[in-house]
Amino acid sequence: MKKRCVWVVIGVVLATLLLLGGAAFPLGKSAALAAPQVVKIGAIFPLTGPAAATGVKLKYAVEVAQEIINGAHPEIAIPLAKDAGLPGLGGAKVEFVFADHQANPEVAKSEAERLIQNEKVVALIGCYHSSCTKPASQVAERYGIPFVAGSSSSAALTERGLKWFTRIAPNDDMETKFFFDYLKFLNQKYNAGIKRVGVVFIDNEYGVHAAEMVQKWIETYKKDGFELVALVKYPTTVSNVDTEVQKVKAARLDAIFHASYIGDMTLFVKKYKELNVVPKAVLSYCGGFQDPQFVINLGKDAEYFAGSNATTPALFAKMDVVKKINDLYKAKSGVDIDGPTIEDFSSAMIIADAINRAGSTDPVKVLDVLKTATFDAPYFVSGKVKFDAKGQNEYSASVMVQVLGGKYEAVWPEEFKTAEAVPAFPAWSAR
Amino acid sequence: MHEGCQNPATCPMGRVLSRRPGWGAVPECNTGNPATTGKGTKTNVPSLRGDPRRRRSPLVHVAVGAVGVVLQVLTSGLMMGFVYALVAVGLSIIWGVMDVINFAHGEFLMVSMYSAFWLYTLLRLDPLFSWPIEMAIVFALGYLTYKVIIRRVVDAPGLAALLATFGLSLVLRNLAQFLWTPNYRFLNETLVTDKRLILGPVVLGMPQIVAAIGSVVMTILVFYFVQRTRMGRAIQATSLDKDAAKLMGIDTEKVYAFTFGLGGACVGVAGALLSSFFPVHPESGALYSLLAFVIVALGGFGNIKGALQAGVIIGVAEALGGFYLGTQFKYAVVFLIYLLVMQVRPSGLFGW
Repeated sequence: MKKRCVWVVIGVVLATLLLLGGAAFPLGKSAALAAPQVVKIGAIFPLTGPAAATGVKLKYAVEVAQEIINGAHPEIAIPLAKDAGLPGLGGAKVEFVFADHQANPEVAKSEAERLIQNEKVVALIGCYHSSCTKPASQVAERYGIPFVAGSSSSAALTERGLKWFTRIAPNDDMETKFFFDYLKFLNQKYNAGIKRVGVVFIDNEYGVHAAEMVQKWIETYKKDGFELVALVKYPTTVSNVDTEVQKVKAARLDAIFHASYIGDMTLFVKKYKELNVVPKAVLSYCGGFQDPQFVINLGKDAEYFAGSNATTPALFAKMDVVKKINDLYKAKSGVDIDGPTIEDFSSAMIIADAINRAGSTDPVKVLDVLKTATFDAPYFVSGKVKFDAKGQNEYSASVMVQVLGGKYEAVWPEEFKTAEAVPAFPAWSAR
Repeated sequence: MHEGCQNPATCPMGRVLSRRPGWGAVPECNTGNPATTGKGTKTNVPSLRGDPRRRRSPLVHVAVGAVGVVLQVLTSGLMMGFVYALVAVGLSIIWGVMDVINFAHGEFLMVSMYSAFWLYTLLRLDPLFSWPIEMAIVFALGYLTYKVIIRRVVDAPGLAALLATFGLSLVLRNLAQFLWTPNYRFLNETLVTDKRLILGPVVLGMPQIVAAIGSVVMTILVFYFVQRTRMGRAIQATSLDKDAAKLMGIDTEKVYAFTFGLGGACVGVAGALLSSFFPVHPESGALYSLLAFVIVALGGFGNIKGALQAGVIIGVAEALGGFYLGTQFKYAVVFLIYLLVMQVRPSGLFGW
């Protein structure tokens, strides 16, 4: 009898709580509409799963952005840093609501819906993986709220004609051209003799599209003596990369374009060494190579690998703003900020900036600012962000970085270089 | 040009390579003089190639090169297959004896790899020597898993135990991520790191060789343990008929717990062996456990010999399929074989 009484009491309390919660919610919502004290923005990243290592760092970067926006940081010369909150909305604070897509497009889609419907976010950023950004941004499109992608680089994302989608990172179309131009530069300046080009890529949106772009651009660069001789695609989770590297070896490549994440990239480098594969250049799309863990894990074996990157610690001495952002970031993450991370940092800053300039969280007004304004982004070498009609950032913020002496040195274009490029890999035994 | 030769013009391998497509693995050469490369040198010049001074038709070169590539692919697949087999043996024993599918098997592997990583990082204990410790750790983990979780569900309908181990796998994986971050970690300076064995056209990484040999030895040991020892026979008896075994005075509780521990010990050793060349992170066991399921199904539940044979089949199929059909299909080949065998022989290739 006594027991039953206890259950009844618990039941009543629970029911009351539910009722109160349900009643309180709409009240809070209408209050928020009148004068937004907190602007909620959804941030979807791979916080668990195979790319969790990167996802956690992206989260730190967005937290740094939130801190810069909400706190007063007059020492950092970027928009929104000076005052606390968004001055355009009466000092309203910004809150990034994080969600985890586990590198799974399905989850990315449902998390985007949850953020919009339950958390009432006014915009979305993310998702690092192009394969996840794709469905998540389609959800944003359906609900009519802005989506700013930071580091997702698949060119297909901005080719879909979406109205609400914008992207900061240079896409792999731009990157591929950048790679060929760099190879041309190596051939011209150092007489590197690079001809046989191959692509090693992961079997997902990011990798497959990068490979397609190489197939497209090779037509333009055939006249410069380049030929595409190998396309090596590998599954998204691998237990070993023996066969892949044997294929690369059999193709005798001068230059390898890599579209890989950190785990698989590291496996490849180890196997290249074991099977004595010595190309002249290995250029990586924005992905695993850009993660500083690459150098930590591989030590001297990481030397001479190269790739496009939005920033590198070697540039901190030249760019004070990046150094200050990095100080905040490093305090959280323990490592220096890298390219993809600063691009996702930028996506957080840009969407906040757009909301601030719009003076409202009304999606139509925010989108209007996003599509028309030019944003200051002094943390990029290009210094600016401006989205074209398709939503692609017109200013490509990449430099070619190469691991030299354990550091990511900027080697090209020449005006930003912090070190001289090494145009050919030495033998593995000569490192 | 390749390792060892600084000058492309005088490097014989460089010239052979540039003229003849189809060469797979290239052995190291020690001198720039083509006349002396053929014989009497220390670095195993492949007997297959013979004396480069002798004239041979390009066709022969291509053929020899192709054989080299096949040998390389086959040995790589074979070595991975042995490791797969050991992982599968652990799963197979548990499955065969108590009819429980251990979904946390991959996570046991991951725990072993982290143990190897931490023993190496904190105490500088090379996985080559620390494997008994990993074995003991995962044995204890398996034993405890039985005592704390499986014991309560082993007699319930099959799905209960499966879900319990599934839950355990999530707990272990997320616990690892919480405690040790999701970063990919590598053991970079172990005793076997960067060492290679060059046998003619075939280059074998020392970490893989050690892993393959270790796996075979462990598999054989487990086989003899189950066949020859008192405990092993008790395991067999319990697996055949639990109630009859109980009537004969066998402590089936103890046998079950021990079996779970033994299954763990297998992945414990596999994890130690893998840690010297595979990244250590919370998800590192996931794919291995998936392949282990396929191998167990092919080899027959509880069949150790079958698991070894099936492991080799899967390893070689993955390597050959990946190389000749396209690397994106390498696991497709594996699962296709699995589907076919399931249609023709549902009890597995070597099952009863």
